Amino acid sequence: MPALGSAGFQPAMRTGCPRSPMQAGSLRSLLAFKFMRTLEQTVERLCEASRKDFANPYELSWPETVDPDEWYTSPELISLHGTNYFSELSEAQQKRLSFLEAVNFFSLNIHGEKALIEGLARRLYEKKSGIYSDYLHHFLDEENKHMVYFGGFCMRYAGKVYPDKKMNLERDYAPGEEEFLFFAKVLIFEEIVDVYNVRMSQDERLAPIAREINRLHHRDEARHLVFGRQIVSELFEEYAPQWDTEVLQGIRKYLEQYLLATWKEYYNPDVYRDLNMTLPYDVSQNAFEQEATRAHRREITRGCTGYLLSHHILENEPYL
Amino acid sequence: MKSETEIKADLRDWIVRKGKIQAEEINDKTPFLEQRIISSVQLMELILFMEDLSGNAIDVKSLKKGMLRDIDTIYANFFTNTA
Repeated sequence: MPALGSAGFQPAMRTGCPRSPMQAGSLRSLLAFKFMRTLEQTVERLCEASRKDFANPYELSWPETVDPDEWYTSPELISLHGTNYFSELSEAQQKRLSFLEAVNFFSLNIHGEKALIEGLARRLYEKKSGIYSDYLHHFLDEENKHMVYFGGFCMRYAGKVYPDKKMNLERDYAPGEEEFLFFAKVLIFEEIVDVYNVRMSQDERLAPIAREINRLHHRDEARHLVFGRQIVSELFEEYAPQWDTEVLQGIRKYLEQYLLATWKEYYNPDVYRDLNMTLPYDVSQNAFEQEATRAHRREITRGCTGYLLSHHILENEPYL
Repeated sequence: MKSETEIKADLRDWIVRKGKIQAEEINDKTPFLEQRIISSVQLMELILFMEDLSGNAIDVKSLKKGMLRDIDTIYANFFTNTA
């Protein structure tokens, strides 16, 4: 396939986007021009980085079995950490839970990346994606590779991927709303995951395979987050002035609910059921409501919420 | 196993709590998704609640439009074999 270079910018030019601010003549055109220039520069840098630094997911060294004496999730990142549910478990049970939570974490990533790949593939060579179509190729390629090792871990050692419980309902959107929400949701999901990846890749208590998967994922996600933060803020800057108060408030409420829903997936009753805990749904609900787990979620999400607040995408700190 | 009345009452309580509305604002035929009392991002929580209530796993991918329309529909689709 020929190198695309900066050709991704061309479709937008052909479809009538302003070539310079002088030609624009309106604030909206000026913003659109600024948006394209800044994003185009970021996309070029990220494409270059993706071409130079990519991981081969097929060369991981997989142990035959998981060792029940090892940790697979950092204890402090386990959903029940800080609650009586966790302290009342034996160390062997805590380690078993750390394995099941790793399977859940990797399952969440698979489901998140499946939805992401669908959305990114739809945007390839669409007019409005002209500026960043080049980077979508790398984004898609890297997300697919991530699922190779996430799925590899889940299927090899647990024989399953925890099922996805999320649903999407079709509805009408204001201009730009669907595009903005797609990238904003991706960003929220990946920001939380990346904090976990960074911490676990550095945690020497973890089994080497768990550390390595987290390290590999963070290596690519760091680039995806740069792209995500840039496109989300610039889409918001472009479209928010066109949204009336009701649409804007609806978007903010939706993002707050999405943050909450994303976190709830970390408290999966199926995991507690697999650990043979009684009333796994109640465990999930009660653990989520405790101050210790709320403080944990606030701390992990601080970077993400700080970004959303500083760009006025959210007005108030969400209740997590 | 809970009775039909108890299950429907539990579902109503859940919708009132999560939708932050008054109990008298809904009945068993209120289309709570269509009226945006519950949003699409809250559906995962509803599914988990229904699984706990029925004791059965729900395959989200097999759900069709309208199966979660209102409390009566949910009861007919997910609880009639277990209630």
